[in-house]
Amino acid sequence: MNPLAPFCQTLEEGSFVRLVCDISPRLLQGTATTFQLTVLAIALGLVGGLLLALGRVYGKKPIYWLSTAYVQFVRGTPVLVQLFLIYYGLPAFEIRLDPLTAAIIGLGLNSAAYQAEYFRGAIQSIGRGQMLAARAVGLTNVQAIGYVILPQALRMVIPPWSNELIYTLKYSSVAFIIGTPELMATGQIIASSLRGPGAFRHFEVFLIVAFIYLVCVLVISKLLDLLEQRVKIPGLEMQRA
Amino acid sequence: MSPKIGKWFVAVGMLALVVGLVSGIPQAQTPTFKVCSDIAWPPFEWVDAKGQFVGFDLDVMRIIALLKGYRVEIQNLGFDSIIPAVQAGQCDIGASGFTITDERKKIVDFSDPYWESNQAVLVHTASGLNIITAFKAGNIIGAQRGTTGADWVEQNVIKQGINVTLRLYETYPLAEQDLINRRIHAVVEDEPAAKVAVKASKGALKIAGVINTEELFGFLVQKGDPKRLLARINDGMKEMRRKGIWNNLVEAYFGVDVNLDRVAQCYGDLKGWLDKNQPEAYAENLAACMSGQAYKKP
Repeated sequence: MNPLAPFCQTLEEGSFVRLVCDISPRLLQGTATTFQLTVLAIALGLVGGLLLALGRVYGKKPIYWLSTAYVQFVRGTPVLVQLFLIYYGLPAFEIRLDPLTAAIIGLGLNSAAYQAEYFRGAIQSIGRGQMLAARAVGLTNVQAIGYVILPQALRMVIPPWSNELIYTLKYSSVAFIIGTPELMATGQIIASSLRGPGAFRHFEVFLIVAFIYLVCVLVISKLLDLLEQRVKIPGLEMQRA
Repeated sequence: MSPKIGKWFVAVGMLALVVGLVSGIPQAQTPTFKVCSDIAWPPFEWVDAKGQFVGFDLDVMRIIALLKGYRVEIQNLGFDSIIPAVQAGQCDIGASGFTITDERKKIVDFSDPYWESNQAVLVHTASGLNIITAFKAGNIIGAQRGTTGADWVEQNVIKQGINVTLRLYETYPLAEQDLINRRIHAVVEDEPAAKVAVKASKGALKIAGVINTEELFGFLVQKGDPKRLLARINDGMKEMRRKGIWNNLVEAYFGVDVNLDRVAQCYGDLKGWLDKNQPEAYAENLAACMSGQAYKKP
């Protein structure tokens, strides 16, 4: 229930502020789910994407082909279709995920393909000579990647990668279609319920939903900016326009 | 730019203007109204095997348009988007098995009721649940967002302190799919659609019981009825009843021997009667065709 209820009742009935007051606790609950979904999906995508990128850059034939095929399949099909495959398709194999788990896995696997491309670009932008030099001083392949290539590549990837984080946050809104109670779904449910403060006030409800997404995106961009500043190595940063 | 090219630009611009103006002139004096429906809810409205929009609501809309001398254009829209679209004037008529409720009446106007329905509780045959145990605390109940079925669960189960989870879906067929997959325990939806789901599930689903909500369905238009549609719809329904069209349509879509899979062929074969402005012949033959009897093509 709404903890603000006593305060909300002092506001004018039917007004926009009253609506905001009445429905924001529920919307914030949805926002929390959106965050949970985004963070877990992006983390899954980070691990998956890094492995895929390494597979595409350094992998031998079968690994190269497999990781390339994965990236092409995922990027070539809509995320909505992928969610339907996972949620409605997997029960045919006796795998029944709840909506939130299905959405995390779906968005995470999807994000992995996109992140893989960002990482691949960053890894390939490090001069080939560095790999040769690292091998020449006696590092193994794995050590060279871990100590020389990735520390530089991961710094370079932050600006494009922050796009991916923002996209995933916004794409998480498609999870409403399989019933994940995230922000978009909460807005839909409030606006299309037959009773309650937000019933049939689609425009106003989605205006509030849009505002919450906007605030989330701005906060995330700011945080990533700070991260970029903090980890930067003088002389290595990308040129700012 | 050379003067010659400049002339060409002017000529093409003039041509575009003339074409635009001519195509903007109303074709005839028959007005067209946009009917919006969530076409995923047999037998009231669904898309058949040939991709045609079929169903009871849509036929009623098409036939009233014939009787009252206007055209309809049918648009497929998400159920919970229809009322906002009608409210905003993007749709003229909402025809999607809408229950007439006080809440909806505050923002749109309804026609006379055309159907009475109750809520059915669907369960998986193998679950052994009945209408009481289906609502046991901890169970997950499915419904379509924005429907009276969802509202019923909210008001009469959850608000009564029974701790069930209401899972809301984009359409009822998705909720039924999840029930077949046994991810949820029950689905609450209108009885005629529930019966179709039971038939389509080939024994996987059954109706555990019916809740007497005695809901009345109506067609809805923008508040205040600025296009004067309600009188035409209500008159049209009366005329359909008087001419026996109504009974035949009910027989065609809700009859005991009806197989809804036949609709692709029946509607395809018979819609010519509507083009010929003979709704009586259409309804009579549709009822015959849907129950597998001999029928006459136009």
